[in-house]
Amino acid sequence: MKKTLFILMVAVLMISILAGCASSSNSNKSSETKDAQQVELQFFQYKPEARDTFDKLIAKFEEQYPHIKVVQDNPPDASTVLKTKIAAGEIPDVIANGGDSVHAMLATSGVLADLSAAPELKNITESYIQILKDITGTEEVYAIPYGVNANGVIYNKVLFKELGLTVPATWDEFVKLSQTIQEAGRLPFYFTFKDSWTTLPSFNAFGASTQGDQYFAKRKEKQTSFAEGYKAAAEKYLQFISFGQKDSFGKGYNDGNAAFANGESVMYAQGVWAISEIKKINPGIELGVFPYPVTNDPDQNKLVSGVDQLLSISAKSEHPEEAKLFIRFLMNPDNAKNYVQGVNTFSAIKGVTQDDPSVAELIPVFEKGLVSDFPDHYIPSSMKLDQLLQELILKQKTEPFLQSMDEAYDSSLNR
Amino acid sequence: MKKNARIFYMMVIPAFVMFFGFHTFPVLLGIFYSFTDWNGFAQNYDFVGFKNYLNVFKDESIYAAYGFTFQFAILTTVIVNVVSLTVAMGLNARIKFKNFFRGIYFLPNVLSLLIVGYIFNYIFSNMLPNFFENIQMKDWAFNILGTTEWAWLGIVIVTVWQATAFNIILYLAGLQTIPTDMYEASSIDGASKWKEFWHITFPMIAPFFTINMVLSMKNFLMAFDQIVALTSGGPAKSTMSISYLIYTDGFSGGSFAYQSANSVIYFVVIVIISIVQLKYLQRREMNL
Repeated sequence: MKKTLFILMVAVLMISILAGCASSSNSNKSSETKDAQQVELQFFQYKPEARDTFDKLIAKFEEQYPHIKVVQDNPPDASTVLKTKIAAGEIPDVIANGGDSVHAMLATSGVLADLSAAPELKNITESYIQILKDITGTEEVYAIPYGVNANGVIYNKVLFKELGLTVPATWDEFVKLSQTIQEAGRLPFYFTFKDSWTTLPSFNAFGASTQGDQYFAKRKEKQTSFAEGYKAAAEKYLQFISFGQKDSFGKGYNDGNAAFANGESVMYAQGVWAISEIKKINPGIELGVFPYPVTNDPDQNKLVSGVDQLLSISAKSEHPEEAKLFIRFLMNPDNAKNYVQGVNTFSAIKGVTQDDPSVAELIPVFEKGLVSDFPDHYIPSSMKLDQLLQELILKQKTEPFLQSMDEAYDSSLNR
Repeated sequence: MKKNARIFYMMVIPAFVMFFGFHTFPVLLGIFYSFTDWNGFAQNYDFVGFKNYLNVFKDESIYAAYGFTFQFAILTTVIVNVVSLTVAMGLNARIKFKNFFRGIYFLPNVLSLLIVGYIFNYIFSNMLPNFFENIQMKDWAFNILGTTEWAWLGIVIVTVWQATAFNIILYLAGLQTIPTDMYEASSIDGASKWKEFWHITFPMIAPFFTINMVLSMKNFLMAFDQIVALTSGGPAKSTMSISYLIYTDGFSGGSFAYQSANSVIYFVVIVIISIVQLKYLQRREMNL
């Protein structure tokens, strides 16, 4: 008895000492900043792929403006953490999210400052400003589009050459290509469904090319249903999933990046944001990206592209001027170029180009305007589309899936 | 005497104030929000009465989470208590390196469940599949966390591994309160070890059994860390515990008020279960 008590007491002591250390070092930090009379900007951004790039840009910014200190916050499961912070009243000064339903919620709940009159918007490609307006459903603009992504099929150029393959333009060609790869004893796709969000990028592509015009405007008015508009997408999606490896639910995003970088699969169903991660693992890999050939009409096969990173300011920020200064700094063409090079996405700023050869094939698609926003940016996050998709893949039945999509969409409007 | 009372009040009141400020007050706020339609960060909200409560009872994903959580909690409570009582008896016996073993078995309790979870996540995702791949058992070479049939097992394993330590300590403390002359008497009477356990050991540690059952049941009903570290409720919601559902849906799903209603209901459920357990097990203690 004495022994156990002793062990317990030691444990308690250790924990309290550790906790003591933590709090004392924190208080040191805050007193230092006060002494130097610095302004501290909280910068929240949600892309793990962009962390290093932002660290470099922040270092450059702090050199230029020594009185401003920018603290980058990039936690895992960022959108949940962000909402927890906001619920607790700790709103970061600058929020760099994606253009999705989270942004819509923040904008319509008055968390973000109205930036409609910001001069920076003049340098932005019109269509991306329009996308933000569609997402929030307002006339005001609450953020400046910064990075723009493209969601296609990434393929290994060397393996394509080895197997004598060409980039497919239609659905039939795409299916045949995947079968040829399987017959050659190779794996067409490496899926990573342990991270449920990785079910989404490809599904978005299938939805975008088959849902028809103005789908979500109609769905909101109940003029159509998912059972009607997403039947084709769900069926093709299941066929597409069959080209993956056996243990696809046992692997996560990082496993997939590593496996594809090491040539375990010929193609990879991820957006261009994954390219920088893949290249970190295998710097010599030669990659290309093509839009999902979802239908047999090449003019219907849209490239899914959305606002990947936007810059917004808290409506209650104590340092709005410094926050604007930071955004203006990031918008500077040189810095914006650094950003798109680091993250390997495209820039929403006019005249800032992405020259990486891996995404060169996408530039003509952008120029033709065969581009559509991510359908899931219009789907409320309480619907948990990623988990519904996991269920679809496991059960291999489209009807219950479409039914639960309709139910979840309607009930999320009710809350 | 009066002087002493003041000192004792000074010992008691700060903790009470902190408990009220950091625990009771937020609970009351949560109950308040459960009658509104607040999404977690909007500037204003409206009162909606019992609408959230009614919707909770219609929500299939909440029923599914209750199903998983209860199955998980009951199974894990049984396993943890059987394992920890067995180990505690071993550690209480006259064996060599007793203190060394006690230290080893205590270790998991010092580690954070979240960290243990991430380590096991790596073992389940990489080490075990590779191991089975290498010994040519290809049918076993998959990540159990990636299947709806077996993901719960991974969560049970991690929870048992981490939770037994604390229960062992309580059982060990209990076992040491049993006077050794009772065992001497029983061995003179020629009782078998099995009988000795059921008629002396188990009745004598009944209060410890009660507290262990109640505490572990309550802890496992609130399973959260292990879910975050291992499966995030997946695949396809098959390991969604109620606490994790409240957290993800309440914050990232933007239904703060709705999930507050869910958590108020869950709070009541846990209180009822704990009271029933205590009443039943304590009555049993007296009968023994």
